[in-house]
Amino acid sequence: MRNSKLSLAVLALVVFGASAVQAQTNSASITATASVQTPINVIGFQALNFNNVFPGVNKPVAATDLTNAGRFDVTGQVSTPVTLSFTLPATLSSGANTMPIDTYTGVHALNSAQTGGVAFNPVTGANPTLSGTGGLFVWIGARVVPATNQAQGVYTASVTMTVVY
Amino acid sequence: MKLLAWLVIGAPLLGASAPPILGAQGKPLTVTGVRGVTFGAVFPGVPRVISRTDPANSGQFDIKGPNRSRVLLSFVLPLTMTGPAGAQLPLSFGSSDAGYSQSQAIGSQIGFDPKQPFTAALANNGRGSVFVGGTANPTANQRAGAYTATITLTVTVLP
Repeated sequence: MRNSKLSLAVLALVVFGASAVQAQTNSASITATASVQTPINVIGFQALNFNNVFPGVNKPVAATDLTNAGRFDVTGQVSTPVTLSFTLPATLSSGANTMPIDTYTGVHALNSAQTGGVAFNPVTGANPTLSGTGGLFVWIGARVVPATNQAQGVYTASVTMTVVY
Repeated sequence: MKLLAWLVIGAPLLGASAPPILGAQGKPLTVTGVRGVTFGAVFPGVPRVISRTDPANSGQFDIKGPNRSRVLLSFVLPLTMTGPAGAQLPLSFGSSDAGYSQSQAIGSQIGFDPKQPFTAALANNGRGSVFVGGTANPTANQRAGAYTATITLTVTVLP
């Protein structure tokens, strides 16, 4: 009888052990989330206009000149910092003729009236923050330096502003 | 006496077919999703990287199982997150974007590639944690809105 009990106990352990070594698998999931912000939109709202320029007479247009300064309008995610950078031409061209630009100025503001505007150097760019409605206004001024024998004509060039978050 | 002996045999046989399956120490294997991967505010055209060691934004799974057992960790990773009107935001996972910690400490991980199965050992108390990071790659014209995806970890106790 004693021997019989011992044998049964051993058998129980073997059976239990066999079930324990079966592969056990379990899974769980988590969520990946992101909140994509409003894309930036930039428009060239107003050209930088030097109007009439006379040979040998430098002609500046201030960035605070709401009529003649170049203006870019930016929209994007509200209250978000952005980086402004510029491609600034060194000259205006009229066919084969060129006219130098020797300085640039800039102002950015949260409204089109330039209230509370902040001056900056377009050569080095700026890091303003979009308004509570996601807007930003940027003005560019410059000075042309016509030669005393500057050829008559209409001179143009492109100023490009790049905005990134 | 004979009756008692057969009951002892019968109990483990019954347990083998009833979930949860018990391990060698009688502990069931459980996997729990503790924390999701949070990319937060993402800007169009600007990749957003979440490190597996980021205590606030990395994903975390906790594992409980048989003490000191070897386990195989396998992820099901999404290629994209889905957003408004079905918009897709690409995701990528690097070769060290997952980490295993026997001590369940985020600062004490062994990195591994979440795209490949990884073998780890549970601690003496049968616990371990898996952390995961990744990169969201929004396009320049990515539609604004909330995006989500599911990351699944499957754990298998190895014999």
